Amino acid sequence: MTAGDRLRAIPSWQVTLGIALLALGFLIAAQLATEGPRVRYTTQERTPLLETADELQAEQDKLKARILELRAQIQSVEGEGEGAEDLVRQLNARLEQARIAAGLIALTGSGIVLQLEDSPEPVPPDGNESDYLVGSRDIRRLVEELWAAGAEAIAVNGERITPTSAIIDIGSSLLVNSAYLAPPYQISALGPGDLYDRLSASPGFVDFVRARGEGYGIRISLAEPESVDIPAFVGTVTLRYSRPIASPSARPTAGPSGVPGG
Amino acid sequence: MHRRRSQLTIAAVAFVLGLLVVVQLRSQAGPSGLAQLSSQDLTILVANLNAHNDQLRREGSTLDRELATLVQNRSRGDVSVDEISADLVRVRAYAGLDPVAGPGVTISISGPIDGSGVEELINELRNAGAEAIAVGGVRVVTGVVVTGAPGEVQVAGSPVGADGFELEAIGAPDKLTGSLTRSGGVIAQLAATLPEVVVTVTPMDRLGLPATTRTLVPAHGRPRL
Repeated sequence: MTAGDRLRAIPSWQVTLGIALLALGFLIAAQLATEGPRVRYTTQERTPLLETADELQAEQDKLKARILELRAQIQSVEGEGEGAEDLVRQLNARLEQARIAAGLIALTGSGIVLQLEDSPEPVPPDGNESDYLVGSRDIRRLVEELWAAGAEAIAVNGERITPTSAIIDIGSSLLVNSAYLAPPYQISALGPGDLYDRLSASPGFVDFVRARGEGYGIRISLAEPESVDIPAFVGTVTLRYSRPIASPSARPTAGPSGVPGG
Repeated sequence: MHRRRSQLTIAAVAFVLGLLVVVQLRSQAGPSGLAQLSSQDLTILVANLNAHNDQLRREGSTLDRELATLVQNRSRGDVSVDEISADLVRVRAYAGLDPVAGPGVTISISGPIDGSGVEELINELRNAGAEAIAVGGVRVVTGVVVTGAPGEVQVAGSPVGADGFELEAIGAPDKLTGSLTRSGGVIAQLAATLPEVVVTVTPMDRLGLPATTRTLVPAHGRPRL
């Protein structure tokens, strides 16, 4: 009996059933693989966590919108000082400067945008997967290089970097200020027109491109748009442990009036 | 009869098959880019979001009260000099334009640490809620970075003591200390990569940090309206 004869001998419904069972087996295997040993949690415990994280993010967006709205209202009421009193005018001018210094005012001006993306290269069997992903250390390193090169304001995916900004890893993503960020990461920096020339002259930046870009395939790209927008910091500026010390430096350090030059 | 039974079998198999396809697709699609996080990472994220949302809520309440006072003063025809001054003091302290005092930690560092090692410590302090930081007596504000090869640390381009220097931070002393010294934390990592560096954390009841000497007003940007 040949194979052809054998095949013909099997009723067609058995063939259909066989194929269906094969597909079933494949799907069961796929299902088990996605919940396999790498992921040691059940959907029962994971789903509530995902939902909670989503709700908290939505809540955060609302809280931030509210803070921005309140700030705008406060600024406008404070600014209504009728222009009559010099003291109020001067206080408001100083407050505007302090807000700019604290990162509470969105800025626009010359600058550059650096983009970092995970490596497209396959991780070698003896390699470490995290080396091929963009991590908080990469972002911190570039932010430091940009400050050193003369950047005056920086944001990562729209999160303003302030004196209290931490940049930490959450799995393969980041937490900057209070926001959860996922790749690709765009670091926008406001600064002098030759900011990129200064940056690329830094041995630290050259090392970074060599080690992370050429070494692990992290994709680093640059844009030099006509102007760069840096959003305001939306977070708390109320210090709970620090008390300001009255001192001579509490007097205006910068010119009390006018908009900073552009 | 035979044919009828086979049809039933196929129908049953198709039903299970369809069910599995749906389950499979659902388990692969997660909401809002959070799907690639493990349960452990998700737990960390939820804890962080909770803490930060509390902070944002408190800031909202502070601003609410401030606005209410301003509006009340205006309706009485008063100019809110006190409120504007208080706002000014608050924002200047945050930016580092005024000296500040409060509890915190002093971190004594000796041995050949490099600039990025100090930056790692600073990042951990910020993550633990540090409100103001100084390195070698220089207030760390936006634009100030710690650089340099091992043993040649510079703060904003100026060398700090080669025999050792101090990193000071204002915040909750127990939280800052715990965060820095936890097992597998930043100091443990430094000890592994730079074994000759000695880092000592001391909680302090009161620290005074200087103001920055920078004006922090951008020369290349202007407020976006």
